[in-house]
Amino acid sequence: MRRAKSPDFVLFLAMVMLLGIGIVMVFSSSAVDASVNYGDKYYFLKRQALWALIGLGALLVAMKVDYWRIQPYTKAIFLISLLLLVVVLIPGVGITAHGARRWIDLGVVSFQPSELMKLAFVLYLANYLDRRQRIMGSFSRGVLPPLILLGIVFALILVEPDLGTAVAIAGMVFVMLFVGGAKVLHLFMVGLASLPAGAWMVLGEEYRRERFFAFLNPWADRLGSGFHIIQALYALGSGRLFGVGLGQSRQKLFYLPERHTDFIFAIIGEELGFVGCIFVLSLFFILAWRGYRIAVSAPDTFGCFLAAGITTMITLQVIINVGVVTSLLPITGITLPLISFGGSSLVPTMAGIGILMNISRYTKS
Amino acid sequence: MSSPPGVALRRRILFLFFSTLLAVLVLVMRLAWIQVALGEELRARAEEDRTRSMPVQARRGTIFDRRGRELAISVNVDSVFAVPAEIEDAEATAAKLASTLGMDYGKVLDRLTRRAAFVWIKRQIDPEVAAELQAADLPGIGFTQESRRYYPKGSLASHVLGIAGIDNQGLEGVEVVYDEELRGTPGKIIIEYDARGRELPQAVHRYVPPVDGQSLVLTIDEVIQFITERELEKAVIEHQALRGVAIVMDPRTGEILAMANRPDYDPNHYQDYPVENRRNLAVTDALPPGSTFKPLTVAMAVEEGVASWGDTFHCPGNIVITGVSVSCWKSHGTLDLEGALEQSCNVAMANLALRLGAESFFRYAEAFNLTNRLGIDFPGEGKGSVPTPAQMRPLDLGVMGFGQTLTMTPLQLLSAIAALANDGVLMKPYLVKQLLGPEGEVLQTFSPTPLRQVVSEKTAREVLQAMVAVVEEGTGRNARVEGYTVAGKTGTAQKVVAGGYERGRYLSSFVGIAPASDPRIAVLVMIDEPKGTYYGGQVAAPAVAAIIRDTMRYLDVPPDASTAEERASEEPLVKVPLVINLSVEDATMELRRQGLGVDVRGGGGVVVDQVPPAGAAVVRGTKVVLSTSVRSASPSDNAMVTVPELIGKSMREVAAVLGALGLRLEVVGSGIAVNQYPEAGERVPPATTIRVEFQPPADR
Repeated sequence: MRRAKSPDFVLFLAMVMLLGIGIVMVFSSSAVDASVNYGDKYYFLKRQALWALIGLGALLVAMKVDYWRIQPYTKAIFLISLLLLVVVLIPGVGITAHGARRWIDLGVVSFQPSELMKLAFVLYLANYLDRRQRIMGSFSRGVLPPLILLGIVFALILVEPDLGTAVAIAGMVFVMLFVGGAKVLHLFMVGLASLPAGAWMVLGEEYRRERFFAFLNPWADRLGSGFHIIQALYALGSGRLFGVGLGQSRQKLFYLPERHTDFIFAIIGEELGFVGCIFVLSLFFILAWRGYRIAVSAPDTFGCFLAAGITTMITLQVIINVGVVTSLLPITGITLPLISFGGSSLVPTMAGIGILMNISRYTKS
Repeated sequence: MSSPPGVALRRRILFLFFSTLLAVLVLVMRLAWIQVALGEELRARAEEDRTRSMPVQARRGTIFDRRGRELAISVNVDSVFAVPAEIEDAEATAAKLASTLGMDYGKVLDRLTRRAAFVWIKRQIDPEVAAELQAADLPGIGFTQESRRYYPKGSLASHVLGIAGIDNQGLEGVEVVYDEELRGTPGKIIIEYDARGRELPQAVHRYVPPVDGQSLVLTIDEVIQFITERELEKAVIEHQALRGVAIVMDPRTGEILAMANRPDYDPNHYQDYPVENRRNLAVTDALPPGSTFKPLTVAMAVEEGVASWGDTFHCPGNIVITGVSVSCWKSHGTLDLEGALEQSCNVAMANLALRLGAESFFRYAEAFNLTNRLGIDFPGEGKGSVPTPAQMRPLDLGVMGFGQTLTMTPLQLLSAIAALANDGVLMKPYLVKQLLGPEGEVLQTFSPTPLRQVVSEKTAREVLQAMVAVVEEGTGRNARVEGYTVAGKTGTAQKVVAGGYERGRYLSSFVGIAPASDPRIAVLVMIDEPKGTYYGGQVAAPAVAAIIRDTMRYLDVPPDASTAEERASEEPLVKVPLVINLSVEDATMELRRQGLGVDVRGGGGVVVDQVPPAGAAVVRGTKVVLSTSVRSASPSDNAMVTVPELIGKSMREVAAVLGALGLRLEVVGSGIAVNQYPEAGERVPPATTIRVEFQPPADR
């Protein structure tokens, strides 16, 4: 039996601050929406607070359960998640919203299986890499099996459709395979081979092509494909250095779409300014720093892969999300972890951080 | 239990960490660019997108004449607009608007339901209608004050002023040249809305007041403009002409005092007139100047030294240039240079041009600005065409000497002639004197711009003097003005149609300068296609004379002292005392005391009659004719006057002499006295009419 230290406090602190900022900003960006559409300006705040509590519970449980005890169940968790991805596609079970069937109705709340799959895939891969690290140099026996699984997952999520999440998971898997010892050449070749398919998916149709490339010059069609990103840039720009003040956003008044979910970072930029943005990014960076630190000092390779995977899962989403909001990347539909409204993302993320904190208890100092 | 992560694994994670760091730094830089570098611009654009602004028009500046009289003003009137998003009941609102404004219901409804932040319903409505609508208090319907252009003097100076449209925009004339200054900056009321079209209570809600436009002070003088238009109109009607142009310019400054065209239009209702009526021919159209060009030919020749005032020319009625015979309008015989101008001799002018040669002629044409635009502050300035030396055949050159073949705008012609009245300095013509701010403060003053010294002061004065002779003795006698010496030149150009001259279609013109001793105005009148008589001296000269006469009077220009008559009228008058029944000695003493001369007739000692009679106001030095008591053979010889020698005197001198003797003058012809009846030495009763025949000196 290993001796447990106290968990990583800095990591916990960064997470709590992000969670707090998230709840405040969800309220600020959704209050008008909520009062107009639900007659209760606290509608989203209440739900996000509830999700945060559930997330905190998940975090505490994950922190208490020693991570190596999870290893035997990783395949099962992955399979259950996979099953849920299939279930969500069944009409009547999956809820359709905005033309996509992504949610499963749990009565009071709904939940998005693809978000659970992110963590599930990390768990699965950590186990896989731990067991096969010596043969990861082989393409067929090391790299290919998880890629086949990725293909299945990717396809299922794509059918919903939710291209952004599918791409994020793919990116995460690639990074983990790289960490696990896969040859860069192999990964590169796979990436290259999937390029035509990717290109077809993105560019196959005129409206998709337009939406995809809108980020390059949103002003070309400012009321059409460029509208969304321009409203985000307006919000960020309006914030300037110190922001217009908490609650003072104008862009949240129905101008900026997805204001309390995918584009909440733009509202942060408007209300808290460049300084606020830097602060939030710094907290995420501290999270990444602590996460990778835990990974390198993990007592075993499973813990190492697990920590690296969870950290990558979070940071990759942050980078994509902020990249989208700042018009560096095409619009994908990736939430900002810990901050965007929505429990499907928040609970697995916090559970993941719980696991990280558990690993941190056994790191060599 | 597996082993802890190896070096390779840790290195890959380290790589991952630094990649993350790099990505975060890129994001930070990107944020800095968007939020700090572009921040203000994006904020402004965002605000613009979120706000709707209602325009508040600026008042368009007034256009004044040179003495501050209003020629174009703006009056405020109401305009109705709608904010479709705020309209509650589109049908009812449309019905009310349609009935009140007399508009089509369907059209109004269409506007009210448009997906626009702001639509005009009707612009510039009557005050009563506005009041009625305001009382109805329809939601989403608003009113704003717009200024409407009004030209209080109607068609006066319409070609100079031009027109301004409903949106306060200059369309023609100085209205368009100084549009930016006149227009001002519109203000606005800005209201911020959310994306669902509701006004934000605590949001941006600003009023940006409009900045009223600047006012213009023109060089035009309303009174001179009026005189000019009146005389131009008279000439055009009298001669049933196609159209006419008149310009009055101050030769010393280049200021345009009047500029008129016929036909004309009323800028208040400009849509009711054909578009051609709005054309300012004075500036835009190049026309053949005809003989009015001749003073320039003479000036060039004298300045260049190829002719002097003593030179004589022989005019047999035509000149043959490179085998082509060009006829003069008359066989002038032998003329000196002044005579050639006076009699408008084509042969002499062709000779002068040929002596100058193509190069010199063209150089002077350039110097007189006949080849280029003058740059007057008026839109669409045209320019004439003068063939280059390379294109000029000797025949062309000769013909150009008397103002055919080449073309120029009336403004170019007048500016060039005016240079002769300004000691040879060509001035740039201009129409706007000053820009005034909204409070009437002077923002900018445009000063006269000398373009260049074209000919020497001496040459200019000599040519001007010769032009005086044109009016006094030559073809321009109809331009004489009582009390002023007028320098001038007639012109009768045959219109060029499709490459050839068209018989029977003439451009009659006259250019005049007054007073010749100290020029104050230069006037050009051009009458296009007069019916019947077509000589410039008959068609245009009277109009120029009338313009000069009334303008001189209006400007209070002292009559110039260059004639005896004028000198006389400037001196104080003396009241003739009553000397009848005094002795000749006493009468003589009394008259001398008053500074009067004495002419005693008859041999008696007592004065029985006097001419002029007692109480008459006469010039000092006037001889009072005294008749004495000794009767001559005939009783009617009492108070007889001896007829003086008049032959060889000018008309003014004759008038002066006869006036002093109390005799009346009957003029026949003009020029120099060649015959008189009764003859010199005959004694006639006072107030007898002396018939004097005059002839132009060259006709002798």
